[in-house]
Amino acid sequence: MSRGVLATEKRGVRELGAEEFVGWDEVQQGVVLPSFNSELKENVSHIRPEERDYSDFNSYTATVASWRVIKPVYNRDICIDCQNCWVWCPDTSIISRDKQMLGIDYDHCKGCGVCVEVCPTNPKSLLMFAEAEEIDEALAKWPEKKKKENK
Amino acid sequence: MAITNIKNLKEFSTVNERFEGAHLLCPGCAHSMIVRELMNATDDNLVIATNTGCLEVSTAVYPYTSWDTSWIHIGFENAATAVAGAEAMYKARKRKGTLKDPDAPVKFVAFGGDGSTYDIGFQWLSGAVERGHDFTYICLDNENYANTGGQRSSATPTGAHTSTAQAGRVSYGKKQKKKDLVAIMAAHGAPYVAQLSPNKWKSMAKGFQKALETEGPCFINTVSACTTEWKFDPKDTIHITDLATDSLMFPIYEIINGTELNILYRPKNIIPVEEYLAAQGRYKHLFKPENRHIIEQIQKEVDEKWEYLQRREEARV
Amino acid sequence: MAEKMELKEVEVWDGNYAASQALRQAQVDVVAAYPITPSTPIVENYGAYVANGYVDGEFVMVESEHAAMSGCVGAAAAGGRVATATSSQGFALMVEVLYQASGMRLPIVMTVVNRALASPLNVRGDHSDMYLGRDSGWIQLDAFNAQEAYDLTLCAFKIGEDLRVRLPVMVHQDGFLTSHTAQNVHTLSDDEAYKFVGDYKPHEEMLDFSKPVTYGAQTEEDWHFEHKAKQHKALIESREVIEEVFAEFKKLTGREYKRVESYMMDDAEVAIVALGTTVETARVAAQQLREEGVKAGVVAPRVFRPFPFDDIRDALENTKAIAVLDRSAPMGAMGALFNEVSAALYTTPNRPLVTNFIYGLGGRDFSVEEAKRIFKEQKAHADAGYITTPIQQFSGVRGPKLGFFETKRGK
Repeated sequence: MSRGVLATEKRGVRELGAEEFVGWDEVQQGVVLPSFNSELKENVSHIRPEERDYSDFNSYTATVASWRVIKPVYNRDICIDCQNCWVWCPDTSIISRDKQMLGIDYDHCKGCGVCVEVCPTNPKSLLMFAEAEEIDEALAKWPEKKKKENK
Repeated sequence: MAITNIKNLKEFSTVNERFEGAHLLCPGCAHSMIVRELMNATDDNLVIATNTGCLEVSTAVYPYTSWDTSWIHIGFENAATAVAGAEAMYKARKRKGTLKDPDAPVKFVAFGGDGSTYDIGFQWLSGAVERGHDFTYICLDNENYANTGGQRSSATPTGAHTSTAQAGRVSYGKKQKKKDLVAIMAAHGAPYVAQLSPNKWKSMAKGFQKALETEGPCFINTVSACTTEWKFDPKDTIHITDLATDSLMFPIYEIINGTELNILYRPKNIIPVEEYLAAQGRYKHLFKPENRHIIEQIQKEVDEKWEYLQRREEARV
Repeated sequence: MAEKMELKEVEVWDGNYAASQALRQAQVDVVAAYPITPSTPIVENYGAYVANGYVDGEFVMVESEHAAMSGCVGAAAAGGRVATATSSQGFALMVEVLYQASGMRLPIVMTVVNRALASPLNVRGDHSDMYLGRDSGWIQLDAFNAQEAYDLTLCAFKIGEDLRVRLPVMVHQDGFLTSHTAQNVHTLSDDEAYKFVGDYKPHEEMLDFSKPVTYGAQTEEDWHFEHKAKQHKALIESREVIEEVFAEFKKLTGREYKRVESYMMDDAEVAIVALGTTVETARVAAQQLREEGVKAGVVAPRVFRPFPFDDIRDALENTKAIAVLDRSAPMGAMGALFNEVSAALYTTPNRPLVTNFIYGLGGRDFSVEEAKRIFKEQKAHADAGYITTPIQQFSGVRGPKLGFFETKRGK
């Protein structure tokens, strides 16, 4: 699967448990883990994730994609950029910049489906598909707008 | 600027996240929704301590950390004291001029689950709040020891099935009431105490900001729906949380300086607790005829609590 | 700026006061503490310094010893000098966090005024708490009197904070016998003392926001062992830095400390190995016996951890019979000091005869006369060429003679 939007080349490059198992002489003293490789020049909350120098110890560099059996697919054409999916994503996997939803971080998405449930558009701009489904094919299958049910 | 613009979600979404993915929390876990929102509610530097629990074992398993801020975990019970120690060090070093960047704004935060907050870490929390350290303690209340497979805590509500207070042929699950920790923390005289819920993202973010901006110890109990132990589909975390707040099982309110109580969310349509209970596997035994009276009892207690909160709010005492 | 305190060249201080003065002079950034007998005066004295402007740092009076050490760990990870004091039950309550402090490589200094562990409850001095800490990953220095409590507390900061070490350090003294006994103490001026200890060197600190760090990550079977191995190596190798610091302290004060203290051991035939105030009692006994022609000597680990396996062996390998005194109830085993000294001696060609005495529990007095009797018993073993008594004996307990295990060597 492609890296997707705004990924630095370090995002999600390692499967959990596939890291190099170094010896006692190479483990971190005091089990202390630095989040970044180089000294931050400014407050980290003023640096966009794609511009950060993440250390190999940062889970940003790991992937949990293999947890997924179903995945959310994003349809830009319907999205109203409400950011509901962004605020409730438990896995920091909705990529929004400048008030726009840009897409899904498939390295860190676990496929919980919360984003689809909280999407308010009609039809939804996010839907769950089988993990193996190609994005283009998923988009081609997108449902039509549902009529309001008569009560 | 210390405070993120949370006027609307579009504004809010422009922040740069400091809680990274590929942590090991369950799909659909509310913990990370709450943690992300806290970290996104401010752009101040953060020193975060976390008690042992789901959050801790999922975000700092060697050789990975999901934290882009300073973070420490010591034990199951002492995150409040760990962060209090860091806060004391900050004051001392600021006074002595040994901080690398003395002008950098910093906030001290502790996270704990309900097991570590209501039970094993209660003394440490109480002590740190009594001493008046400038920090915010956030309890991620999922009403059980989820990290160890769902044992009862003193935050588990009446009637819930847990592995150590099981529902069975002669038992309807936990028999005791949930401890009212919010009231206890307010009774400490903490300047800001609240119960907040991630489905009401704005009141939660505002509450977080208030706590962070308030000098002194603040306590927030957050509702953290647990897909694994409450037994619902991971996609339904926010739906379940909506049922929790709209049935008033989890009323959303704040208490300022121990006295001034403000209700932060009034459901337009209050739903019966039965709807909330029916949506979760942990309560399914309550729908047997012999246990129906427990549902009635829960409803009665929820009604009484709501009445109490409203009267407290009105009385301003 | 903290007020300076004018000290006389020689002050009359008890061990508690000496320790608290060392904490003040080290200009500790955060003291998080909880009072417990017999170390309470350390915390009280420090409180008086705070109240009178002699301390710039924070003084956090927490609600338990567990919280005291928790606060120390949080404070130390935030990059400054940290200290506390405790005893006995309080020490026991802290144990969980002692392991966390050393595992995170945080150089906290703790003055421990040794006291027995309940049950039954007892406030007097023995070494049960010191022994409880022996696997906790801390450096453990042992002071035998008030002067040493002062000196070693100053040294402790310098040892633990050395970037080659980065480990927490305990400085032990005996409850009441040292902590509450006023003695002459040679002092350093505030400036001299601070200059010796030096500025704290922050390392991987939580308050440097240009380099965020995570403390206290979890490791399971795939990583835990390597971390513990690295930590053990650091503790073993702190020996070199300990010796350096002791040498520097000698240069400054003329007072010499060694990882193992030996008294009259050059030609000693029999020896007592002990910790704490008993060392001085044994020295008096040895001196008296020397006048009677018994070649007696005393060996005392100044550094209980890292255990001076090497120097203990060097100090004792040429003696014939040794009594190792343990002031802690061994509960189903030989005393810990006996075991460790014996293990060291087992690797020597001579393999002296070694016996174990359990003594002084709960503050029971240990007299010069009893020390002399023990020396004489060693002399009897030496002359016989084998251990003539049970290998482990209780000294000073009422009731029928209590001893365990016979030798399988000689006879």
